[in-house]
Amino acid sequence: MTRILFGRRLTVVGVVAMSAGLVAAMVAPPDRVQGDVQRLMYIHVPAAWLAYLSFAVTLGSSVGWLWRRTARYDRVAAASAEVGVFFTGLAIVLGSIWGKPTWGVWWTWDPRVVTTAVMFFVYLGYLALRRATVDSVARARRSAVFGVVAFVQVPIVHMSVVWWRALHQPPTVLKPGDPSIDHVMLATLLLNVLAFTLLYLLLLRARMRLAVVEEELERTSLGEGQELAGNAVLAPRLERS
Amino acid sequence: MRQVPSATPGPIRQCAELARKDLRLELRAGEALLVTAPFGAVALLLVPLAIGSDAPLLRQVGPGLYWVVVLLFGVLVTLRQSAVEGPAQLAMLRLCGVHPAVRLAGRTLANAVLLVAFELLLTPVAIALYDPDLSGWPWLLPLFPLIAVGLAVLGTLASALAHGLAGRTTLGALLVVPLAAPLVLGATQTLAAARYARQPWAWLFLVLVIDLLIIVATALAARQLEESA
Repeated sequence: MTRILFGRRLTVVGVVAMSAGLVAAMVAPPDRVQGDVQRLMYIHVPAAWLAYLSFAVTLGSSVGWLWRRTARYDRVAAASAEVGVFFTGLAIVLGSIWGKPTWGVWWTWDPRVVTTAVMFFVYLGYLALRRATVDSVARARRSAVFGVVAFVQVPIVHMSVVWWRALHQPPTVLKPGDPSIDHVMLATLLLNVLAFTLLYLLLLRARMRLAVVEEELERTSLGEGQELAGNAVLAPRLERS
Repeated sequence: MRQVPSATPGPIRQCAELARKDLRLELRAGEALLVTAPFGAVALLLVPLAIGSDAPLLRQVGPGLYWVVVLLFGVLVTLRQSAVEGPAQLAMLRLCGVHPAVRLAGRTLANAVLLVAFELLLTPVAIALYDPDLSGWPWLLPLFPLIAVGLAVLGTLASALAHGLAGRTTLGALLVVPLAAPLVLGATQTLAAARYARQPWAWLFLVLVIDLLIIVATALAARQLEESA
């Protein structure tokens, strides 16, 4: 099972799912009011959900590191945060492109849009904190603490359309009761969510592998800079020589 | 028979002493109130130069600008250089048996006092420059300490996270400012609600809840942060 999930087959399954998601997004019925522009939903919504998932994984791995102090948890937290920032940026950009024909503006001071932008910057701060800390243990510790604190932003983003009056539509799927969306559209959306989840796993795996290589390189370059123990003992010299 | 005083003072006394030490250092350095506060006042002065001296517009945007300046420059107050402990000071505090949470609480208390002073210094400047509608001003009395405490805790947390790093001030600000957005929202909406004769309790409650959440998170992370100091 692990081999299927994380072996070479993941790439194949991911590509197949992404292709199927793309085809389904093209053949799904267009929205009655918005027309074909609404098809952006099949990328925008999965990107936003995957951003939530990525930051939830960062939270879980940060707690895991604080509890177990295992380097693997730190790698997962960092990789997931990076992928999450990518998905958040994608959701913001696509939302902006979708917003222009529907709302008439590229950007609006809507609570969901603003809180998502704030979440983007919170996790950019997380990545900046990691980049600024040289020592690997201190980096893991500091980012684990911030990874836990930063997650408070995620429920705020999700609930913002419920708590405040918003232009952005309220939750249609992740809400109590029957989803208020056409069933073919819902199936297409869920297929794309699956495809994006596989893409997330692929990116996470690639970033974690890169992190292992980076750590190896860091260890090697640290070793190169250090002098051998024998060099600490210098040959005696005469004064003024 | 006279009771022998305990060798180690209690956590509240320790916290108060640490805050007093920070405030004394600030009194000598004058970094927050003699440098950052005038800098904030200059920012308030520059905004009308940039957006135009339209008095009704300035009256409308004045309170919001005031809170934005308090947030941005308040972060600099919490990340001031005089509030950075060197390795020797940290070692001494550890040897004295000061709990990490108490150390952070002392720093937070000093930050909160300085931030309230900072808010009070900037208030007359904002009133003079923007002539805002002051109806509902009594709500500022609970709002000032609540916002100061929230910013103080976030600043203390960011300062501990960025301790010893290059670019500590900019990195700390990047960590604090996005997380402090609900505080600015609470502050501005409290005054707006009061101005339109609505009860601003909900917004004050929001700020209080955020303060409590950050306090709990920082207290739980205190030992971890101590290890990275």
